[in-house]
Amino acid sequence: MTVSTVTASAFGADLLRYRRSASLWLLLLCAPVAARYMISETEGEGISIAVGGQLPVLTSPVFGIWLGIVVSTLVMPVVFIYLRAGPTRRQPWQLDETSPASRIAIALGRFGADAAIMMGVLIALSLAGLFLAWMKVTGPYQPGHILLLLWVVAGPTLLAVAAIRILFDAVPILRGALGDFLFFMLWMASIIVPSIAAENGSTFANNMASVGGAIRPLMESAPPGSESFAIGTSSLAPGRVELDPWAGIGAQGYLASRAGWVLLSLAIAALAGLVYRPHKSKARTQRFAWLDRLTLRRLLPGAAPSSQHATRAGLGIVPLVLAEMRLIASGSLFPLLAVGAAAIGLADDYRHAGSPAALLLLVFALSAHAGRTEARGLVALTATAPFHPLIRRMAFIVAGTVLSLAIAVPAMMVHGPLHVLELAFLTGAAASLAAIVLAWAARSPFVARITLLIGWYAYMAS
Amino acid sequence: MTLEARSLARSFGRKKVLEDVSATFPIGLTLLTGPSGAGKSTLLRLLATADKPNSGEIIWQGQPLPAARRALRQTLGYAPQAVDLPEDLTAREFGLHIASLKGLSRSDADAQFAGILEALGLLPDIDRRIQGYSGGMRRRLITAQALMGDPQVLTLDEPTAELDSESAAAVHGLVMERAATASVIMTTHLGEQLAPQAVQNLRIADGKAQPVG
Repeated sequence: MTVSTVTASAFGADLLRYRRSASLWLLLLCAPVAARYMISETEGEGISIAVGGQLPVLTSPVFGIWLGIVVSTLVMPVVFIYLRAGPTRRQPWQLDETSPASRIAIALGRFGADAAIMMGVLIALSLAGLFLAWMKVTGPYQPGHILLLLWVVAGPTLLAVAAIRILFDAVPILRGALGDFLFFMLWMASIIVPSIAAENGSTFANNMASVGGAIRPLMESAPPGSESFAIGTSSLAPGRVELDPWAGIGAQGYLASRAGWVLLSLAIAALAGLVYRPHKSKARTQRFAWLDRLTLRRLLPGAAPSSQHATRAGLGIVPLVLAEMRLIASGSLFPLLAVGAAAIGLADDYRHAGSPAALLLLVFALSAHAGRTEARGLVALTATAPFHPLIRRMAFIVAGTVLSLAIAVPAMMVHGPLHVLELAFLTGAAASLAAIVLAWAARSPFVARITLLIGWYAYMAS
Repeated sequence: MTLEARSLARSFGRKKVLEDVSATFPIGLTLLTGPSGAGKSTLLRLLATADKPNSGEIIWQGQPLPAARRALRQTLGYAPQAVDLPEDLTAREFGLHIASLKGLSRSDADAQFAGILEALGLLPDIDRRIQGYSGGMRRRLITAQALMGDPQVLTLDEPTAELDSESAAAVHGLVMERAATASVIMTTHLGEQLAPQAVQNLRIADGKAQPVG
């Protein structure tokens, strides 16, 4: 058995599964759609990218870089969600894990399949970009320039996402919510850090701080005094600034850093094989068992063999909502964290402190429960319950909203009910609705969790 | 060629599933019987290197694991009770992928896998995607991949659950064929039926393994 045989087999099997997944076509559509809405119109409408407070002149090279920014902002979390929740998440783990095959070889094969899908995304974006550029660019239409700059900027970014997902799948603690949260933090950092790093000189090390790689070429080619950079800004100075991205691409250490990210991605994928740990069935409730002694959970009645037969529970909506609330708030940590979020709500700026704190807690609780209940096997089971599944889903939304309101009660008493009530109601209801719809579509909590985290960030930062 | 367990213990949180299990698994069929939740599948997972004991040793060819883990895995077949099968692959694609992980040549594996599937009545469906397989077909497919490569140690967890009597007989036939030259360790709800053909019957209860009969 050679390493290359195992790598080729893992690559081939995963690629086949991707090719046969219907969601692949949605993914391939996503980048072109994102590009359509992220390229500003002449008047500056859309999501503006400003250098020195002005929109850049949309030449072909600038257009290529702009498409790269689309990848490092919008497309990056979407492809991670797809890879994480996609068809290759379900592996015959127990069979792989007891085989004598090298884990590094398997990881590299899987990374290869993920990378191939990423290149598919880039091809789709390239085709859409060429069409958009044909309509929008100022000056000569240069497809070669657009493609070259787009691939230099976005190629390593997408490879890095694929490598991170392989690494997160290899480590047990990162296979669940913590991995999703960590990626969300990495994504935020990938947007914020490069803007800061770009103000320092162009060196290999500084450029390696930017996995997105789109900002340096713009900054380096800006006229003196215009070296500030902003994405999504609404305050634009009139006129446009002329940029020469080729000068930026040639900046010291830039191209080396892009090659560095390609090599680093390969190294991360190999590392994933090295640190791989098998899937285990753990007694998860044991981890925070000590918390149960501090909460009402210890007061729940134990089994009583001599007790009477259970009477049929009333099949009302209220018991259903209460049951959903109990399940959303299950786990030993939830009560403590809810108290913490409620306490943060006492701070002055409820909109930017208490409300995001409560929402963050609900993001995890709602997505976890929604993912559990929308799993294929369980849906087949609950479909035979007296309540239609749609009623249960509505009860889930009501339960999530009520929990959000409950956490906000102390804040209502301090800040007055109306403002807090409105925010708690809207955030709770919106998060619950999004969680159940996304979990239903993906049959897992991954998509709901990452999407809600991105929504949470937008809410907190706005 | 011997597989041996020495004083194996495995707990999940505070629950002690196996406390002190010692046994030798000679060539032939070893049945693991006992009540539900007694630890039969846990013992099988330990022997198949899918899990690690909290204490105790597994010895393969006179060498303890983990040193001998790779050597054991090179000649191991494992059919767990439930596997998250890759729904988008056909049975043949799945079998070839597992074969490559086992280090088998593609052409040999293809021919052998087809032969096993024929014996198990799955050959007509070999190029169908697994998502269209019934519960019984999936169970037979899991057993088939374990049999590939003529393993010297074959560990099977309830391979005949969900099967009709005809399919169960086909599985038993293949298993007994392998048991002529390999150590086959199997949990089953049909213990009484298979006991006469087994070289030993271990009853797992209260965290220990006791020979029966």
